[in-house]
Amino acid sequence: MNRARKLVASISTLSTRRRTYSPSSSTFRTISIINSQTHHSSRRESFQPSSSAKPLCLRFSGREFSSGSSDTTSSSVCWNCGSSSEKAAFLFCDSCRSIQPIDDSVDYFQIFDLEKKYELDAGSLEGKYKDWQKKLHPDLVHNKSQKERDYAADQSAKVTEAYRTLTKRLSRAMYIMKLNGKNVNEEETITDPTLLMEIMELRETISEANDSKELDQIRSQVQEKLKQWSDSFVEAFESHRFDEAVKCIQRMTYYERACEEIVKKL
Amino acid sequence: MMIRQAAKKALGITSRQSTPCSVGIFRSYHENVIDHYDNPRNVGSFDKNDPTVGTGLVGAPACGDVMKLQIKVDEKTGQIVDARFKTFGCGSAIASSSVATEWVKGKAMEEVLTIKNTEIAKHLSLPPVKLHCSMLAEDAIKAAVKDYKEKRVKTNGA
Repeated sequence: MNRARKLVASISTLSTRRRTYSPSSSTFRTISIINSQTHHSSRRESFQPSSSAKPLCLRFSGREFSSGSSDTTSSSVCWNCGSSSEKAAFLFCDSCRSIQPIDDSVDYFQIFDLEKKYELDAGSLEGKYKDWQKKLHPDLVHNKSQKERDYAADQSAKVTEAYRTLTKRLSRAMYIMKLNGKNVNEEETITDPTLLMEIMELRETISEANDSKELDQIRSQVQEKLKQWSDSFVEAFESHRFDEAVKCIQRMTYYERACEEIVKKL
Repeated sequence: MMIRQAAKKALGITSRQSTPCSVGIFRSYHENVIDHYDNPRNVGSFDKNDPTVGTGLVGAPACGDVMKLQIKVDEKTGQIVDARFKTFGCGSAIASSSVATEWVKGKAMEEVLTIKNTEIAKHLSLPPVKLHCSMLAEDAIKAAVKDYKEKRVKTNGA
């Protein structure tokens, strides 16, 4: 009983100190410490305030307590076992197999360990996606805490969203532009007559086409155009000609919509 | 048009679905939108080269919509006597352009330039996410009037 009281006292001193680092979540952390204490009495010595002044030694979750910096170069710490990871995308702790909370600074390329460029290998992307889902899927965490089940749901959804965005050329292009601060999806009207006439004619042809052979033919033509403009996008993007890149993306959007129409008809 | 039929089916389903969930927001197309869809008015084209015709061709690249609105103008009075539209896009875009063709008929060109997208959106009860469709319709009207005026200048100048 006395020991417990001492522990609570020391913990509340710690949490007062902690408040300077992360005011909003200090209560949460105190609770987690008490819980872990009751289960792991052997680790008690690490929580004596006299033993260390550095917050890093204490098993609080997350990056907020790492030495002041909040950039991606700081290592992440598992909330459950405290082991640290140097990975940019720390979604899952390999030591204790716990799922980690979402970190908004992690982008989709980091999740799949890819360079932030437009070209990628679709096969390896799918493989990595499946590997992640084997670890993060909510179906695998039925017997874990509510907190971890929530993490699983969030991480799994994020990974799925990342996979979907990066698999399709158009969404990948828009995402990579977004990462560079160029938001493509603005609701502005365009009046370029050449482009619009072409698209108008294309859509009219699609709506008038009646047999699947004709539609397939049109589809392969449109796919050809998509590939062409996708290549133009890469070129424009890599040369930092961002306005041109946006135009390429606009064209690709129109061609993608045309493809969707064809698929609907088929 | 097959697109319309397919979309009609989709719209039909959404409009007739009952909403059991009290917490979620259920969005369906307003009956005005469905009306314009089931009974489209003024779908079609005029001859682009006709000197009394103004053609407005606009697009919304964000969603891949393309809208063509044409007006037929009485040269003597400057009044719009007829209008046609052709739109490839969502139900809201199609309905917006349909409403636009209805509203411009019988009006003077200067008057139609004052038609605001907010009025179209209100008439169709468009949700915020579809407001750009009504904007597209407003832009289409302006483009059609501009095209007609430019053509007039050309023919008068020649």
